[in-house]
Amino acid sequence: MLSLTSPVETPAHGWRVGPKLLALAGLTLGLFLPAPGWPALALALAVLVAAALAAGRWAILAAWLRLFRPLWPFALLLILWHGVTRTPLEGAVILLRMAAAMGAANLVTMTTRLADLQGLVLWLMRPLAPILPAKPLAIAIALMIRFVPVMSDRAAQLAQAWPARSSRRARARLMAPRALAALDDADRVAEALRARGGAL
Amino acid sequence: MERHLTHVALFAAMIAALGLIPRFEVFPGLGITAQSMGVMLCGTILGARLGGMAAGLFVLVLLLGLPIWAGGQGGVGLLATGKVGFILGFPFAAFAAGWVMSRLKGAVGVAAFAASVLGGMIVLYAFGIPGMAWGLGKSLAEAAVICLSFIPGDLVKAALAAGITSAVAKARPAALLSRG
Amino acid sequence: MEPIRLTHASCSVPGKTLLHDLSVTLAGRRIGLIGRNGSGKTTLLRLIAGLVAPSAGTVRLGETDPFADRKAALRKIGILFQNPDHQILFPTVEEELAFGLTQLGQPQAQALALAKARLAAEGREDWTKRAVSTLSHGQKQWLCLQAILLMGPETLLLDEPFAALDLPTETRLRRQLARLPQRLITIAHRPDDLSDCDEVLWLEAGRLAGFGPPAQVLPGFIAEMTRLGAEDAP
Repeated sequence: MLSLTSPVETPAHGWRVGPKLLALAGLTLGLFLPAPGWPALALALAVLVAAALAAGRWAILAAWLRLFRPLWPFALLLILWHGVTRTPLEGAVILLRMAAAMGAANLVTMTTRLADLQGLVLWLMRPLAPILPAKPLAIAIALMIRFVPVMSDRAAQLAQAWPARSSRRARARLMAPRALAALDDADRVAEALRARGGAL
Repeated sequence: MERHLTHVALFAAMIAALGLIPRFEVFPGLGITAQSMGVMLCGTILGARLGGMAAGLFVLVLLLGLPIWAGGQGGVGLLATGKVGFILGFPFAAFAAGWVMSRLKGAVGVAAFAASVLGGMIVLYAFGIPGMAWGLGKSLAEAAVICLSFIPGDLVKAALAAGITSAVAKARPAALLSRG
Repeated sequence: MEPIRLTHASCSVPGKTLLHDLSVTLAGRRIGLIGRNGSGKTTLLRLIAGLVAPSAGTVRLGETDPFADRKAALRKIGILFQNPDHQILFPTVEEELAFGLTQLGQPQAQALALAKARLAAEGREDWTKRAVSTLSHGQKQWLCLQAILLMGPETLLLDEPFAALDLPTETRLRRQLARLPQRLITIAHRPDDLSDCDEVLWLEAGRLAGFGPPAQVLPGFIAEMTRLGAEDAP
């Protein structure tokens, strides 16, 4: 399962994860604090341009731009809404600060290895160790990632058998064996895990 | 212990896989996806605690940077969009669905439908609507109107989740951890 | 090699007894487990591996109770299931190989290095970072075998490892298994698979129907199977 981390090595790949995330959090907070107006617009634009320049310099611009796809429906909605109510400045601020926050966050995602992020998360969760111990959590994360391709192969088989006009009951009857298969798999994988020493 | 772990991990993987089923797109990029049905199933089959953990694991791995949100989206950047409420609401929705499931006696299918609606829709919208309001800079009422378009699709999902849960209960009654 | 000793061992689940009162000592280097479907072969393997506890009697690997003492059992015994998709836990090859070593107490970095070294020794160093989902069925089975061998167990339990493999892959796997110094206990369906075993254990309906060298047990087994095959199904 490919993560969103860029295979192209950038200087940011080597920066420490904790500071990177803290900087991102601070930046996002700063973006959303001012009320919608010209200063807020300028700030959002500045952040967005800075992120784009960094991405360009690090040769990850194309991939970075592609990560903006989730923004489309909101962009459309805002353009329509603020066009109709004739409040373009407000709409522009909302859209740009969302884009800026997202662009900065995606830069962090692209320049941080999953293993490093996971390491940070596990370190942060140390106080929760009595209820959520680190080792089973790490195994659970790996197990989930391992099974996403397996599950999505099954889901793909399902999608083929899911024509738009089939009845609801027919679809449920198709999906139930898949759910059952997932449950059986869970039992067998649990046994394999116990055979190799267990989760604790 | 290991059984709980594998159930949580595999159902989290299932939620991710459901994001890859072709979506019915209301807007380009904003579709009705099967993913929230996965959340419903976590609650109705695994129960509140394990179901909530499964959905929570999904959100964790999503934020760690795996493109497992519907349409291959992922990473912390998603938290900056209007979807933030729905994302963070997943574990609560699954937990609520599981809780309702354990409280309702009677036919599995009916209970699962109620649990899916109460958990997978009402609780989820309770998180999703404020999130969308914040992201889009709109009021709660305005965001709620936008989310109205999700209701028909979600009702279909709840019905499907009920059907699947009921089929599982019939085939493997012991596997229904939500009513153990 | 320590003998595996079952003493009046039974194994049941609610409503059904899977194994009745088995008493046998397994000391050979190649042991075959044979019997009809449902005769309890897989249950016996799981019992020896310590994945289930006997409902009566005892199971011992030397002095170790494999169910109670998982840590010791981990060093003594490994089990290879039929379907590698149920056995592989990690998304990449190196993580899968390293897991057993970390379970035995090695630090992650060292475990990964050993995993890489093992792949290099087998001429497959380019597999190190490969996603498990890109491997074929036979390759996954090979990976599972390597993962267990890395843990260095004395005994290997094999639950029909050749099922679902095509003939060339099966031949390759047989060759690899034949070279192993460990004790192998293999479930087999056909008598021909057992000709080079030291001991054969024949289970019928959860009871010991025969135990001893192949020449002693197989004729009776073949005769019985032929007899059953000649009758029409009940």
